[in-house]
Amino acid sequence: MSDFRVALRQQDSINVLELKGYLDAHTAPKLEEALQGLLSTSRYNIVINCRDLSYISSAGLGVFMAFIEEVRKNNGDIKLTNMSPKVYNVFDLLGFPLLYEIFKEEHEAVTRFFDKGKATPITPR
Amino acid sequence: MIKLRRFLFIGGAFLLLLVKFTIDVISKNVELEVGGLTLIREATVAGAFLLVALTMFGSTKSREQTPMRRLGVLLVASYGMLFIGIAFNAIAIQGFDRKNLSLLPLDYPTLFLGSIVSVLFGVYSLLTLKFLKDLIFYQRRRGTQRNFVLLLGAMICAGGSVVMLRPLDSSVVTTIILALTVVFAIMNSFRLPWIVYLSKREKLIALVYGFLLFCAFTGMDVALAMDSNLRHSLLYYSYPLREWVQLSVLSGNIYFGMAFISTLFHLPTAEAFERKRSEVTSLHNLSRLITRVLDFKELTETVTSMTQQVCEAKSCWLELLTVEATSGSEIEHDPHQPVGIQTVARMNISMEEIEQLHGGQDSFLRREVLARRGPVVVDDIQRDKRFQHLKKVKGPVASIVVMPLISHSGLIGLLYATKGTAYGFLKDDIDVIAAFADQAAIALENSRLIHESIERERLIREMMLAQEMQRKLLPQTVPAHPSFEIDALSTPAFEVGGDYYDFVHLSEDRLGIVVGDVSGKGVPAAFYMSEVKGIFQSLSSLYASPRDLLIRANEILAGTVDRHSFVSLLFAVVELQTGKMTMARAGHCPLLFASDEAVEYIRPGGMGLGLSKEQVFSDSLEEHTMALRPGDVCVFYTDGVPEAMHENEEFGYERLLAVARDVRAGTAPEIKNAVLSSLHGFVRNTMNHDDITLVVLKWKGCERSPA
Repeated sequence: MSDFRVALRQQDSINVLELKGYLDAHTAPKLEEALQGLLSTSRYNIVINCRDLSYISSAGLGVFMAFIEEVRKNNGDIKLTNMSPKVYNVFDLLGFPLLYEIFKEEHEAVTRFFDKGKATPITPR
Repeated sequence: MIKLRRFLFIGGAFLLLLVKFTIDVISKNVELEVGGLTLIREATVAGAFLLVALTMFGSTKSREQTPMRRLGVLLVASYGMLFIGIAFNAIAIQGFDRKNLSLLPLDYPTLFLGSIVSVLFGVYSLLTLKFLKDLIFYQRRRGTQRNFVLLLGAMICAGGSVVMLRPLDSSVVTTIILALTVVFAIMNSFRLPWIVYLSKREKLIALVYGFLLFCAFTGMDVALAMDSNLRHSLLYYSYPLREWVQLSVLSGNIYFGMAFISTLFHLPTAEAFERKRSEVTSLHNLSRLITRVLDFKELTETVTSMTQQVCEAKSCWLELLTVEATSGSEIEHDPHQPVGIQTVARMNISMEEIEQLHGGQDSFLRREVLARRGPVVVDDIQRDKRFQHLKKVKGPVASIVVMPLISHSGLIGLLYATKGTAYGFLKDDIDVIAAFADQAAIALENSRLIHESIERERLIREMMLAQEMQRKLLPQTVPAHPSFEIDALSTPAFEVGGDYYDFVHLSEDRLGIVVGDVSGKGVPAAFYMSEVKGIFQSLSSLYASPRDLLIRANEILAGTVDRHSFVSLLFAVVELQTGKMTMARAGHCPLLFASDEAVEYIRPGGMGLGLSKEQVFSDSLEEHTMALRPGDVCVFYTDGVPEAMHENEEFGYERLLAVARDVRAGTAPEIKNAVLSSLHGFVRNTMNHDDITLVVLKWKGCERSPA
């Protein structure tokens, strides 16, 4: 039933993962695999584009938690962008905006990697 | 009983022979002319040997003896008798006086020893007949019994025909009967079923035994026919007995002569026959094993060793496919093993040698069998172009057969057999290996299915236990108090879930309500849930403020939950005397609050427990205080409610709000049921894929006015 896909794109040395569909306990391993693939090749600057992400469950959120520590230890980051209000609400309820930088648009997140001052993430409610 | 009978029979026989001996001794000294004395003498002899025969043929013990053992015993007895006969002729006794075709012993030793030898030969002849009968009756067919009875009958007639004759007399009738006996003996000598079932080695021994027995019997024939003390002693002792002995020796002679020739002709086919027989036995054993052996390892080893034995292979091994059997789930593979194929049993060959034969991952043998789904036979590896990789290393294997194991679910493995000689596998061998592979496939499939069903049953039992445990973690009853009504419900999506609610009686007039959700589902979530319950039960008495309690709970949980797990939670404390409610939200769904003024979500700041150990948790956590008034409704719930889905649409917060607005005037159970039926009406028959928890608090007002 649940359909979920991850696509990887390179954008100025930033790795953009595009998520599509339903991210829940069943599909979470796909995202884990994709993130693991980036980390194993020492690519730590990661942007997650959630434009086509229609649903995320707590297990889906857990995937980001599993990797953020290692990414940040290597001076990288996971930034999230293009969330639908519904998906943002799930992130927001749990307080994820306090832990992750979430942007309206992907290019803002990419810019943010190069210049901390230029783009500002969405502030939590 | 049988023992006693036997004792009586033997005793009787001995007494009769003693009587006979006494008569002989008397008649040596005194000329006895009693009419019918010959008849009395013969009657005692016949009676004595009848008793011995009854004892001997009545015994059932001998039926368990193998033909080889019988041959051995007879061989020893025959040469013993031959020796006794020759020795008797050689010792210095005076012998017999011939008079009028009659014989008279010249001295007592002749009489005494002659009697003993005669009795011994009589017993020996019975023994010979008994063994002949056992061998002939090894496998009964039509006419087996008739032929043997005819032989016995003829022998008895031959004996009978000479009863009244003087020892050196002869008659035409006797000669005719004698010829008939020989014919019957020849007829019986074709009954040699026991030879067929001997192993090759046994046949070789039987050949020697047969020859030796033939010689012994021939020797005895000669000894009995020669004009000697032996012949005269027997003739004197009892003419019928002598006929009987002679005929049984002759029968033995014919039979074992035939046995010798027959064994000789059976020798070339012995190996083939033996193999066929072992094939049948092995297949039979294997099919028996299928129903008994559940141990997978034992089964694979048995299959392999049996294959090796039955086709006399040099080595044998069994490889099983691991991928199809595990239905696509990821399994750790032994890095030395090709993915999906595992050697589970091997006989007389090392893993290195197997690898060498395969010559790496992309083995021609495997590829060929997998593609063909049929057997692959390589008759001469050294000359086969497909085995280029073996050119340099001259291994011990010259020919090889690979047979696929195919069960109804498809190819499950490969059975290998090798021989040290080129063209070592005959068509028969390949057929047998195929039969074994078929049986083995069924057996392995059975074993696997049984294991799976046992495992599944065990898991179901464990899950039921877990479910039961978890149900006990949730409150069994809702708290009752005049100032409020509470109703609650929690249904896990799977056997066990991560949703949690609880009521904590903080003191006489303070009630804590906890509703939480552990990230993920199933067993790990259930484990964290029980941990959360423990934390709340122990901390609630220590911290008056929900915020303080959550900060402490976060410290504990952040240290124990794994990186990608967290807990969202809403904790509210109601003072029953005043209606003051204090709450804090740790990343959980907002509280749905319905009063006369408004129906709204109350969402104080705060993040999920276990997400961060740092300051950011306590910094973001807000505490919200409100005064409840009679008629106010608080709905605590987990995300399973707003996220309940039907055809890609969520139930959502708006619908939840609308239901609460409509039914807030009802009792707590009414409100709960209204939310549930609205939810069920929305998702209809879609299976809920998340746990659902609902706690409804309806405030009815303080019992006493606040002081």
